[in-house]
Amino acid sequence: MYIVVTGMGIVAPIGTGIDQFWNAAVKGANGISPIQGFDPFGLHSRIAGQIAQFNSADFLTPKQIEQTDRFTQLAISAAQQALTDAGDLTGYAPRRLAVSLGSGMGGFGTFESSVARKFQNKSMPPFTVPRIMANSAAAWIATKFGWKGANLTCSTACSSAGNAIGMALDLLRTGKADAVIAGGAEACVLPLTMSAFEALHTLSTGFNDDPDHASRPFAKGRDGFVMGEGAGMLILEKEEEALRRGAKIYARLAGYGCACDATHLVAPDVDGQAAAMQAALQDAGIAPERVDYINAHATSTPLGDVVETKAIKQVFGERAYEIAISATKSMVGHSIGASAAIGSIATVMTLYTGMIHPTINLAEADPECDLDYTPNQAIQKNAQVAISNAFAFGGNNTTLVYTTHST
Amino acid sequence: MDTTELESKVIAFIASKTENIDTATITTASKFEELGFDSLDTVQLLFDAEETFGVNFDGDEVKGLRSVGDIIDYMSKHPPQNLEK
Repeated sequence: MYIVVTGMGIVAPIGTGIDQFWNAAVKGANGISPIQGFDPFGLHSRIAGQIAQFNSADFLTPKQIEQTDRFTQLAISAAQQALTDAGDLTGYAPRRLAVSLGSGMGGFGTFESSVARKFQNKSMPPFTVPRIMANSAAAWIATKFGWKGANLTCSTACSSAGNAIGMALDLLRTGKADAVIAGGAEACVLPLTMSAFEALHTLSTGFNDDPDHASRPFAKGRDGFVMGEGAGMLILEKEEEALRRGAKIYARLAGYGCACDATHLVAPDVDGQAAAMQAALQDAGIAPERVDYINAHATSTPLGDVVETKAIKQVFGERAYEIAISATKSMVGHSIGASAAIGSIATVMTLYTGMIHPTINLAEADPECDLDYTPNQAIQKNAQVAISNAFAFGGNNTTLVYTTHST
Repeated sequence: MDTTELESKVIAFIASKTENIDTATITTASKFEELGFDSLDTVQLLFDAEETFGVNFDGDEVKGLRSVGDIIDYMSKHPPQNLEK
């Protein structure tokens, strides 16, 4: 049984909607800019990948806006696009329609503002809890679109959406759903999250005056990740059903693997990352020799990009040098729990269009990062088998395998 | 501020929070449920009124508020701080 992607939606710093996002990605657009949402005075990292033109009033009533955190609003926007893209799903019973989302921080903006109110002895807005809870976005999508089957939310930090899409694959394979909205959403370009990630020395601090060049995976001089926000959603269903209803098929979701380092809460581990890639390929029944594109996790931290490079070499051996790799985060920053959904969409579009988007800001590579990262310019390549990596705090590693529809 | 002025301010405020309701039909007799507010919406409405008027809806008395007129009566008994809004 094959599971296929039949609809997609995205809200990302370089574009909203699949066409706008993908056109910008292939051009190597930069989505990083000075922080707009609050005064970043006092922060060492004052830049982020933000959604500049997002207006929730375009698709939500004032009451719905009042009851939702920004991460939920981003999620609803991406889900609405994906559903429109997927076409007529009315042949499925509502109880067979599932939602499987990831978010690392949930409604953290609401959490921050509520804490501030509490310490000022102000009363608490009644929708504080429903706005903060991590499953708020999935619940709203179900409610707004009438998807009445399983409703899951996975919170595994930066791999949240990777696990969520993997859980969606499991729901479809085990017959627990006929179609799934899967993806992730995050909105934590916020004073508290920025300060907290800064305390771990994970954020870029040396490019506040040069945001265009801040997110530079695999490059010399990279100094941490750039915080991002966004949402990405995919509609997944069984291939035979998609063909029966005449749906557009972007790609197959062929496999899912996950592994925990169980070594350190925040330090990456070569073996854990390699194990996730191997597990995913095994799950897909695809030999490593057939992989011809990798959408890397690649956050632009000094250590992380080197570890991922080593893990890729561990899995693919000498062939690692022949595989095209690219880092979507070079353009959009790191949107934590949404990032694996955005990476998945980039991977699917790579297979669907035969174009590999570049890793931007890669003028000179770190000598320890010596693979083909598709520097600065997109290339045309009819990739057939691709993997999308997401690695996370908690030692959590996930890999998703996508193939072209005809593979 | 006289009662008429308070009434018109509260009615205008509540009208701004309704959806799919002909705001011209809102009177002091209008019950929250008739205006489309469920119980949680009503809690949100009182919260928003606190923010807007500087009134403090507190204590057992609040549980009995059912209509536009009830809010106005409550605010008459507990004068808000920033009614000019």
